[in-house]
Amino acid sequence: MAETSHWTGSEKYLCDPELAQAFHMARTLGMPLLIEGEPGTGKTELPLQYASDLQLDLFTYPVGSKSNVEQFVARFDHVKYLRDSQIEILNAQREEKGLDSKLSTGGRDTENLGDYVAKGPAAKAYLSKNSVLLIDEIDKAPREFPNDLLYALSHRKFIMPESGEEVSASEENMPAIVITSNREQELPTAFKGRCIYHYIHFPDKEVMGQIIEKHHPNIEDKIVNTAIDMFYHLRTLGLERAPTTREILNWLKYIKDVKPKEAVEKIERLDGIGALIKTQTDMERVNRVIHSHTLGSQGGFSTN
Amino acid sequence: MFSSLPESFRAHGLSADVRTLLVLRKAMQKELVKTLGDMYNVLKGIVVKEPTDLGPFTRAYYEYFLDIAIRHDERLDDAVLRSKTFQEWRANQEGEHDISTEDLINKFLDQVHLTKYDIKEIISGKDIFDNDDPDRKDEDSNDNSDEKPVERNLDKMVDYSGLTLEELLERMKKVQEQQKSKHSGGSHWIGTGGTSPYGHGGAAKDGIRVGGTGGGKMARKVIGDKNYYPVDTNALLNDDNVDAALSAIKGVIEESAIEKLDVPLTIKTGLKRGGLFLPELVSETTEQMRIILLIDNGGYSMSPYIRSVRHLFGKMRTRFAHDLEVFYFHNTIYDVVYKDDRRSKRLPIEQLVKYAKEYRVFFIGDAAMAPYEINHTSVNSLMAITKHFKKHVWLNPEPLRYWQSTETIQLIKRIIPMYPLTPNGIERAVRHMNGKGVG
Repeated sequence: MAETSHWTGSEKYLCDPELAQAFHMARTLGMPLLIEGEPGTGKTELPLQYASDLQLDLFTYPVGSKSNVEQFVARFDHVKYLRDSQIEILNAQREEKGLDSKLSTGGRDTENLGDYVAKGPAAKAYLSKNSVLLIDEIDKAPREFPNDLLYALSHRKFIMPESGEEVSASEENMPAIVITSNREQELPTAFKGRCIYHYIHFPDKEVMGQIIEKHHPNIEDKIVNTAIDMFYHLRTLGLERAPTTREILNWLKYIKDVKPKEAVEKIERLDGIGALIKTQTDMERVNRVIHSHTLGSQGGFSTN
Repeated sequence: MFSSLPESFRAHGLSADVRTLLVLRKAMQKELVKTLGDMYNVLKGIVVKEPTDLGPFTRAYYEYFLDIAIRHDERLDDAVLRSKTFQEWRANQEGEHDISTEDLINKFLDQVHLTKYDIKEIISGKDIFDNDDPDRKDEDSNDNSDEKPVERNLDKMVDYSGLTLEELLERMKKVQEQQKSKHSGGSHWIGTGGTSPYGHGGAAKDGIRVGGTGGGKMARKVIGDKNYYPVDTNALLNDDNVDAALSAIKGVIEESAIEKLDVPLTIKTGLKRGGLFLPELVSETTEQMRIILLIDNGGYSMSPYIRSVRHLFGKMRTRFAHDLEVFYFHNTIYDVVYKDDRRSKRLPIEQLVKYAKEYRVFFIGDAAMAPYEINHTSVNSLMAITKHFKKHVWLNPEPLRYWQSTETIQLIKRIIPMYPLTPNGIERAVRHMNGKGVG
């Protein structure tokens, strides 16, 4: 079996028990774990923290709109191969002419096709025992990518292009595979069927307090509580892009250097709100809310 | 008896099939399922494929494993409270008469959602868990009083680990039969001790108070939150289903990631190198998302939808960088469309059709008007637009059943393919646009 201890988080990382269990289950079954959830809820953190906590090798494949399965597994570098073979011809010609200097192929041998295989993160992860393989933001990929990937992952074996070399992992030292998605595009049903699925719920106030504790252990409770209240209030406004965990952590980073009393005031005035609100329309809406709130508290006499 | 599981879960709109059972079997063999709570978690990982499956899944689970049917719009607590399963369980709780119903329900949910991880957490030390043997436990309790509550918890633990799948199935079947008969005598799943076919001995007198079990809490949340239920994709576009529509409309983006040999460049650079031809590759990425929206914003019939439509396409714009042009018209298009929603800035049709023909055109309107309004000019304009922009559809918020009886809808439908303004309709419209025959 792969590394299947039940990992519940580290000093720096609060792993939601549900997520920890899903992760454990995925590793035990040797299936990829597909994590979805709002941005900024720590989807990517899980494999990173797990790998660093247990000191395992981590291989990351950040998915983009140009991703294809070749980059992920391995591709044959035709350009280098052609270049080197041409160089051999050139060198032969030079030799005929009695020239000593030769062009170098950088130690690669055109007879050995394996020299021209560029291994991607998947092949590397399979070659490294009990490693962690992160496929980040798979929803950014072209539509055929998840299905291609599915085929690659469902066999514990890759065949390298051209060289025919086999890269495989036994069930005992399978890498732990974690796939994250922001749900910007639906993934094929067949693909989801092969994964253990976990949806990260947005943490409630209590859990948020614990997360903040992990990141900023030295902030006074009062500040944290005020910030959390404000933060969840903002989240109820129905903003286009509601602030997430990442944003409140950044906000507190900004607040924490100030004296406690000022800090609470700052939070109530929403100082540094740029850390929380990311779009212009949202900012306008928040300003309207603050404005009406101020008006209300001053009995409507404000001229501002 | 698990064989009926896929069917019963599918009745809740979930996708479950033989594969579900195979993975479940594997999970059992790997000892991932030791309690009913584990069963919930494991099945959740296998069956749930998106957040909106969570609600139906939790219902299906309670119905299938606990015989607790949760009615529509019912809180989990109420469903539990009126269920026979709970009544029987309660009857087996001795000395709990002074506990409030609320606490009893909490305790019940805690037991349902107790997982092997929770048990491990209570018992410090894996050994006790792995070799839980009644005799040894007694010794332990003499040695160390701290461990006493732990052992008592173990008594109540439902342990499937020693059972093969077949045995488990057999037992579950028995339970279901018992639960269906009038007098089941209080036997069921969760730790009721002696009579439970799943417990392994000791009677359960005390509830398992596990601080960490969030399962019950989460189940409650899921049942009470409409975000964990699928949206009605046949409902007209509104704020609730705009995300479903969004995912449908993303289908209009054409993208690919193919590397191609750039022949001219290869020749050019090859000649420069004096005949050393190295292949030059060019990555051919096309992300095309150019949209023209033509919105009918005249008349009261359309006003409820304009906001949702703009919200929908506005969301598209914030996620992808591409071109989105919005124009307005009233009822039908004559020789101009308007650049602003007050319809004061005119844009003649001759200019509209100068936009690149790759643009996809969405008409959005109810297409309901007096028949004479669709005159020669209007038909010509519509034809001109559809002739230039090969990919075009009309999305109509009018309920489908009125289409047949509205003359102008029938007229326009002949010129422009028409779909309902629902997430489902949008999806079909997009599929039509991407169809091979179009463009």
